[in-house]
Amino acid sequence: MRIATPLLAVFRTLVYVFLLAPILVVVLASLNAGNFLTFPPQGLSLRWFWTFLNNDIFLNAIAYSATLAACATAVSLVLGTMASLYFTRHAGKHAEAVRIGVLLPLILPEILTAIALLFFFYEIGVGTEHKIALFTGHVLMTLPFIFLNVNTSLQGRDDSIELAARTLGASRYTAFRRVTLPLIAPGLSTGAVFAFIISFDTFGISFILKGTGSAPLPIQLFDYLRFNFTPEAAAVSTVSILMTLVLVVAADLLFGRRD
Amino acid sequence: MKRFRASLLIAPVAALIFVFVILPYVTVLIMSFRATADGQPYGQGFSVEGYQQFFSQPYYALSLPSSLALGMATTLVCLILGYPIALHIATASRKWRGLLYGIVLSPLLVGIVVRSYGWTILLGNSGVINATLRNLGLIDRPLPLMYNNFGVVLALAHVFLPFMVLPLLSSLQSIDPAIAQAARSLGARRFTIFRRVTFPVSMPGVQAGCILVFVLAISSYVTPSLVGGMRVKTTTLLVIDALIDQYQWPFGSAMALILAVSAGLVVLIFARLTRMKWT
Repeated sequence: MRIATPLLAVFRTLVYVFLLAPILVVVLASLNAGNFLTFPPQGLSLRWFWTFLNNDIFLNAIAYSATLAACATAVSLVLGTMASLYFTRHAGKHAEAVRIGVLLPLILPEILTAIALLFFFYEIGVGTEHKIALFTGHVLMTLPFIFLNVNTSLQGRDDSIELAARTLGASRYTAFRRVTLPLIAPGLSTGAVFAFIISFDTFGISFILKGTGSAPLPIQLFDYLRFNFTPEAAAVSTVSILMTLVLVVAADLLFGRRD
Repeated sequence: MKRFRASLLIAPVAALIFVFVILPYVTVLIMSFRATADGQPYGQGFSVEGYQQFFSQPYYALSLPSSLALGMATTLVCLILGYPIALHIATASRKWRGLLYGIVLSPLLVGIVVRSYGWTILLGNSGVINATLRNLGLIDRPLPLMYNNFGVVLALAHVFLPFMVLPLLSSLQSIDPAIAQAARSLGARRFTIFRRVTFPVSMPGVQAGCILVFVLAISSYVTPSLVGGMRVKTTTLLVIDALIDQYQWPFGSAMALILAVSAGLVVLIFARLTRMKWT
């Protein structure tokens, strides 16, 4: 056992390196001054970020993904919070069925859900042209994350405070706005950050349902990577990583201290 | 009245899930039994051609066992890599726990395309690993790290490792440290404590993590296509080929359902073997 302990520590360190390596390597590759992804890099430069900033395809894809993620998150916030309120307060003996139902999009393989939605939207004559299929898919993927996070804020708290406010003469709306909403604020903000990132990064749904015309960032990047090997893709990826990081840190600074 | 008003809270989500998840899955089932046709996604009437097509062509039929094996290998690698990590985080001091937790979750914050791309940079023939080994004079020709099952399993294990560590962690954190201390004071060796106390108690986490990783791995598309190139053909890749590139909807649906049912059977057998308690 005396020999096993340091061996285990080395193994653990290697796993942590394994977890971080592919992400770090993308960031390093984006600083490569050469024309191809060679290693060791041929000097450091920001030229690929410049190339990326002049490439409308990627810029549009980022704007498109961000808009899609914001809209899907907004809809999921409303629907997910309603479902969570029902689940924690009114579901009773149906609680488990409600939970599984709302989490279905998370439990089922994403690519299969995407295919199912594709067929469904074609069968009802809508198709993928109007982006409704894509948007529905993104709402489905983000919904479970709002639900889970708001549940965490609500669990162990019954609706007696809200009832007290109502007894004291507050309207249903005021009671919700002044009592329930501050209570679930941490769950809402964490859930929203999660939902936004999931939507921004999700692949299967976007890949199958994107339709023609502009595509979300992960799809644009995937298409590019199949045929190109320049460090520009690394620059795009690095920007995407930084955006996520900024979002997480900002959310933590704004809301993190509350619980 | 009160119950009616409460049910309005769940109505929109219930409708959403029913219309856009349940009905679409039924559509896939129906689609798999539709007749095939040339030049359009599906023909008139119903048939089992889609299923026949899959089992009669070895190219497709043989992709199933190799995809399941790929999924199992990924699951095993995740378990071996993830268990010591989960154990480490569960017993780490508060100060370290946050940082280690962050490292484990970090892959989740980076899109699956970017992570798979990172692996292609590491594993490629002129990638980081091969270039380093060659510069050190250890190898003459690049090692075949990518465009094969090895690379795909490694990258998949990285992509899905958090899904193994998180359930493990939640089951390990539920263990009362007093039990291990009691076993220690009664003279048990550390390995005995692990075998007789820690591991059995963490079993629900092992089961949940293995099932999650297995299902995610066999249905993944991005990693096998970027890291595997054209050489590794999983059933999921063939399903997408059939549906998107060849417009063979009944065939693609049949293939997707065969994969889903096979994966379900593997999960059931695993649950049975490990005496899983369904909650």
